[in-house]
Amino acid sequence: MEIRPKRRITEILFLSVLVLGAFVALMPFLYMISNSLKTYGETVTRVSSNPFSPRFWPRKLQWGNYLIILKDDSMGRYFFNSLIIALVTVSGIIVTSSLAAYGFSKMRFPGRDRIFTVLLVTLMIPETVLLIPNFLIISSFRWVDKLHALTIPFMGSAFFIFFLRQFFKQIPDALMEAAKIDGASHFTILVRIMVPLIKAPLFTVFFLAFNGSWNALQWPMVVTQSEKWRPISVAVAKYVTEAGPETQLRMASAMVALAPILVIFLIAQKQITEAITNTGMKG
Amino acid sequence: MGKRTERKKSLNRDYEGYLFIAPACFLIFLFGIFPVFYTLYISLFKWRIKRGSFLGLRNYADLFGSYGLLLLLLAVVLAIIGGTLLLNRREKLNEMHPGTGSTGLSLGGRVLQIAGWAGLLLLLPLFYSRGDDKLLDSLRVTIWYSLGTVPFQLLFGLTLSIMLNRDFKGRQVFRVIYLLPYVVPSVAAATVFERLFSLRPESFANQVMQSLGKAPLQWLQEPKGLLTLWFGWGTGEGYIQSWLQGPSLALATIMIFNWWVFAGYYALIFSNGLSQIPTQLYDAAKVDGAGFWTTLRKVTIPMLSPTTFFLTMLGIIGTFKAFNQIYILRNPAARGAADPLSIQIFFTFFRKSRFGYASAMALILFTIVLALTVLQRRLMSKDVHYGD
Repeated sequence: MEIRPKRRITEILFLSVLVLGAFVALMPFLYMISNSLKTYGETVTRVSSNPFSPRFWPRKLQWGNYLIILKDDSMGRYFFNSLIIALVTVSGIIVTSSLAAYGFSKMRFPGRDRIFTVLLVTLMIPETVLLIPNFLIISSFRWVDKLHALTIPFMGSAFFIFFLRQFFKQIPDALMEAAKIDGASHFTILVRIMVPLIKAPLFTVFFLAFNGSWNALQWPMVVTQSEKWRPISVAVAKYVTEAGPETQLRMASAMVALAPILVIFLIAQKQITEAITNTGMKG
Repeated sequence: MGKRTERKKSLNRDYEGYLFIAPACFLIFLFGIFPVFYTLYISLFKWRIKRGSFLGLRNYADLFGSYGLLLLLLAVVLAIIGGTLLLNRREKLNEMHPGTGSTGLSLGGRVLQIAGWAGLLLLLPLFYSRGDDKLLDSLRVTIWYSLGTVPFQLLFGLTLSIMLNRDFKGRQVFRVIYLLPYVVPSVAAATVFERLFSLRPESFANQVMQSLGKAPLQWLQEPKGLLTLWFGWGTGEGYIQSWLQGPSLALATIMIFNWWVFAGYYALIFSNGLSQIPTQLYDAAKVDGAGFWTTLRKVTIPMLSPTTFFLTMLGIIGTFKAFNQIYILRNPAARGAADPLSIQIFFTFFRKSRFGYASAMALILFTIVLALTVLQRRLMSKDVHYGD
């Protein structure tokens, strides 16, 4: 009889902390949505720190803000640039990483493990260290301002090879042996037998690689000089640091920049939360 | 039988394997390994967009003040490494022949290590006054950034994970919400924070200040250190004074952004760790009559130490590499008080076109990250303690 009410209180306390945490996590998103739909005047005068107050929200939804940034400020174009860059990069990563992960786990050749170790060492190199030499390399290829520069350097990834290799290793060799007796080549085994078995990890690679490419800022800033291939991350960064545009337009541009990631995340939330908690432990 | 061994043999030498790994290896070599050596090469030149004259170690000497100071730095670093190697050797010897007289090794190792660290501390003010103060200033910003983010993220993450780690309806909803800040592109999220913490009176942060009855703050545009603002410390010149200022309010605001991004992520990683703690331990604690706090102190925290350690190292290395959110949130009005080394390197390269000098700075950053990673590996392999 003594424990019961105490338990109840902890339960309520725990839940309120969780709700508070969720509120803090969501708050900036609410601010972004509401301010992206305000008039300029409202972003200055109609303000509140409390999302439950009507003053936090616009009087009338100004969808025109989105039209302005998508058309007049070309965010629509940058959005599609990013989409193409991300999709090309991710396709490259998936092809090279599954080939290499298969090679490193299911094939035997001299020096295999030594090469793999060397690849793993590259994981600790900060991007900033590679920036200057890679810029010189890309310049000497005459790739500056071209799609090549934004995609090809990212297509080889030690992290994703490492990630996929773990899943290949879990697949029993017996499956391969059977296919081999039937005269299947390694390539056929990879495409017909292995890939269908690692669909879920491949989706994780897709999501993480897409996210990485979409969010890349440093490198694209260096290798895009015109707007031809400027990705949305660079466009938004320019937009914000050049201090011109008004709050509602900045918020609309942020909204556009995070929309695709948000959509994929919400659709596949179960798998992605699982994948991130697990790769976090391993990556 | 014969066929089987034959097949085994062919399995042993799959030269086709080179073809499978070739595309990835080629790309990683060209854009990930070769550039490290190329940076080293560039750092030895005066290099402004085009290669200029060969400078040798001049760029490094300029960063640290003089060739003499550079030499001293080298000596100090070698002493620390040498001391560590000696201590390692002793440990190995001790393992093989326990109790043998290797006190000489251990004493020498310790002395070298202590002398090395003491020397490094004594050298820092000299580097600061003679060398490029941007290097040490940005390094100090980076260290504050680590100190001001990692412990708090651990605390928030642990708290949330403990509350999350029970079976209840809507658990997945909380998990998704907590992961949102981590998943969304940091460029977009930082864009929102740049407005939330604007210096204008109508900004969200200043509205909160107002409702608390406080004066509005400059937030991201405030170069003054927190300790200067609170206690008036660190107003003089010099290296020690620069530390006494504490992190600038601008940097502290970026730290708040980091907490927001990583608290939920840490919570999920922690709850992964929590779910691996055997329930018998909790049952035993209950039988012994341990309350919530005792259980937390004696069971949960010690059992989580591998996760905590992993997240600490991930966080520290992450702060040394951080770029995107700081690039968006930094404001020229803060006069570099929120610019860590990574940002400093980027501007030296991108705005000032000093390729050689920036490469030298980048290699210093790389050395630090490398040292931290090696430290992590060593400590990891030593088995993190599960309490006493």
